[in-house]
Amino acid sequence: MQFLAKAQSKILKLAKMTLNRALNLLMKTFELRRSYKPARSKTFNLPMKQNFVMQNNDYTLKLENVTKSFDEFVAVSNLSMGVRRARIFGLLGPNGAGKTTSIRMIVNITRPDSGRIELFGQEMNVDLQDRIGYLPEERGLYKKMKIGEQLRFFGELKDMSGRVLDQTVDLWLEKLKLSEWKNKKAMELSKGMQQKIQFIAAVMHDPDLIILDEPFAGLDPINVDLLKEQVLDLKGKGKTIIFSTHQMEVAEKICDDICLINRSRKVLSGSLREVKASFGRNSVALRVEGGDDVLEDRSLVTKIETHSDEIEVLLAEGASAQGLLKRLIDAGATIMKFEMVEPSLHDIFVEEVGRSNS
Amino acid sequence: MRKFLAVVKREYLQRVRSKMFLVFTILGPLMLAFFGVLPPLIMGMKTGESTRIAIVDETGRLYPRVYKSIMTGHGETAETNAQGKGALNPGAESRTQKGAGVGEEDYSVEEVRLDGRSIEEVKRGLSERVRRNQLDAFIILPRNILQTGKAEYYGRNTGDIFTRGRIADYLSRAVREQRLADEHIDESRVRALSSPVEFQTQKITETGEESDAGAGFYVVFGVGFIIYISILLYGQVMLAAVIEEKETRIAEILFSSIRSFPLMMGKLIGVSLVALTQLSIWGLAFGAFAIYGVAALAARGVPVQLPHVSAIIYIYFLLFFLMGYFIYATIYALVGSMVTTTQEGGQVALPVIVLLVIGFYLAFPVIRSPNSPLAFWASMFPFFSPITMLVRIVAQTPPLWQILLSLGIGAATIVLLIWIASRIYRVGMLMYGKRASIPEVLRWVRQA
Repeated sequence: MQFLAKAQSKILKLAKMTLNRALNLLMKTFELRRSYKPARSKTFNLPMKQNFVMQNNDYTLKLENVTKSFDEFVAVSNLSMGVRRARIFGLLGPNGAGKTTSIRMIVNITRPDSGRIELFGQEMNVDLQDRIGYLPEERGLYKKMKIGEQLRFFGELKDMSGRVLDQTVDLWLEKLKLSEWKNKKAMELSKGMQQKIQFIAAVMHDPDLIILDEPFAGLDPINVDLLKEQVLDLKGKGKTIIFSTHQMEVAEKICDDICLINRSRKVLSGSLREVKASFGRNSVALRVEGGDDVLEDRSLVTKIETHSDEIEVLLAEGASAQGLLKRLIDAGATIMKFEMVEPSLHDIFVEEVGRSNS
Repeated sequence: MRKFLAVVKREYLQRVRSKMFLVFTILGPLMLAFFGVLPPLIMGMKTGESTRIAIVDETGRLYPRVYKSIMTGHGETAETNAQGKGALNPGAESRTQKGAGVGEEDYSVEEVRLDGRSIEEVKRGLSERVRRNQLDAFIILPRNILQTGKAEYYGRNTGDIFTRGRIADYLSRAVREQRLADEHIDESRVRALSSPVEFQTQKITETGEESDAGAGFYVVFGVGFIIYISILLYGQVMLAAVIEEKETRIAEILFSSIRSFPLMMGKLIGVSLVALTQLSIWGLAFGAFAIYGVAALAARGVPVQLPHVSAIIYIYFLLFFLMGYFIYATIYALVGSMVTTTQEGGQVALPVIVLLVIGFYLAFPVIRSPNSPLAFWASMFPFFSPITMLVRIVAQTPPLWQILLSLGIGAATIVLLIWIASRIYRVGMLMYGKRASIPEVLRWVRQA
């Protein structure tokens, strides 16, 4: 009988895993198609207003000319950046660009060879570590340790203790819908659940700076939304968040500011809006029936990209979107969609990384 | 400090609460008893039948003595036992075990007379009987045996060194007694003259004379052995504990919260507390068993004298045991910091045992001359001192400053090794998946 029960639970687990994977796949294809909508949250506005005046110089973290090399290899070269309070800062770049090394210096795991790191207005030091929450990309859990104990341990390592710690653990497990797993061992949890536990470990001690390295990798859409909600909530509470990823679609939806690094150097930085504006391209997303002649007019349109159910046209120099719209209507075309297109972060990334590589 | 204690607590509780710990705590002593008792049992095992020996006595007068010597060979010690009531000391006790413990010897001896046949003829006949398995061996005592002291042994199984050696002993005794008798020395005096010597060891110390039958030396070896066993058992645990965060990839999370030195120290203390918990459970169990055994023996009228060692020496035993344990556990931690998987660590850690074994062997020259420069330096060198310094303390207690210095060096070594290990660990952690070469390790110690 026991054997049967075991087999059953194994099959269930397997089914759950396959389902998760399928959902993930779905999510990825889904995300690629979704057009950009700025994320909004209720708690978003209040602290933003409070900080608005001092925002420009209210930096949580400042890096000045930071350089770190391992033997001959220069991992981070002369990097300067500022991370503003209560904002989500995207640290972007391809694999091996130097993101993880930069983060390790920010959390004081390694020290820069030269340059300065200033956190909360102080020179970097060990005591500041307790005010940082870090979810590394290389992450795991103690396999044979119960979830509750495990979180307690991580809390103690951040100098928490006693009933406050117990309550915090319970609160977070509830927030991420994991309460019933408290007394299970980590090895019994799915990978997604483990990732949520690791997230809790990074934020449970109420840190003022939270660093998340690929926090959504491998999560299903429901859990991505769940975590995203928590991240935005933390930002609303005035926490500063550094978000490192090479998934541009995610960064685009969540970041306020970005810094793109490639081959150990900073390529560009600024608020997402500024960056996008400076890359403004004159293109329009269209779903239209008829008007083919208009679209073939080279004085109006220089290039057409065909997507699955719409086209993207690049306007010729001197031509305006309004002009195109008018010509299409005049030509009797049926217009189902007409939208000015901002360059996606993905495009900017590819373009910039390509340029700095050449 | 709170972080350090958190690490200690985790390492301790996770291990003590595991099923493996429970199982091992119960099975450990059973296994130890098994391995301790089984080998001598097997070695001493014989077919159970008596060894049949024929003796050809060419002298014509030695046989009765030989017969008596063989047949009373183990009876005599039993006799001593009975006589020795009330004065039984550890030495005699161990001798009894030696006499009777290694296989219940049992001989059936027959005399073969020449009766006019030639010696060759008799040999042929006896060889035939041996071949037909009617006999196990035969011995020829030549006419001039009393002068040359040489006899001939013919047996099917000349590889049985136990039987052969013992019979040679019995023969020697018979021959010796005969020689004395030939010198017209009275039978009873012969026995008195050939009685063996036994030392009553007196140790001279600053406080006066103390009786010590060398038991202290055996206790030192006991301590060395316990260090050895606990390192064998817990070295791997220590190794696994250090590697755990690398294998589960938790290291980076930890290092954003705690520095590597308190982390490594916490691990060392945590795992060591587990080891000490287990050892003290075993120790208490053994102690209870021993007290029960002594009480049971006393109830039967057999007084047992425990090895006499002064109290201060027990304290030194404890201190040097702890030091020895920690030093070797730290080496394992160091190895763990350099490698990425437990298997790999096991290979690298193998030479560590060699150090311990060298320490054991050094005990011999040290006990012969406990005040020699060799003894001094061996007892200062931290990897050997847990054993060699103890030997010196028992043999001829060195000045207090030397003992304290030795302990101090040991403690400093532990801290230094942990410090090095934590540096290597921290830098090594940043590069997963490859073992560090020695130059790399040295560089890591300098940087970070």
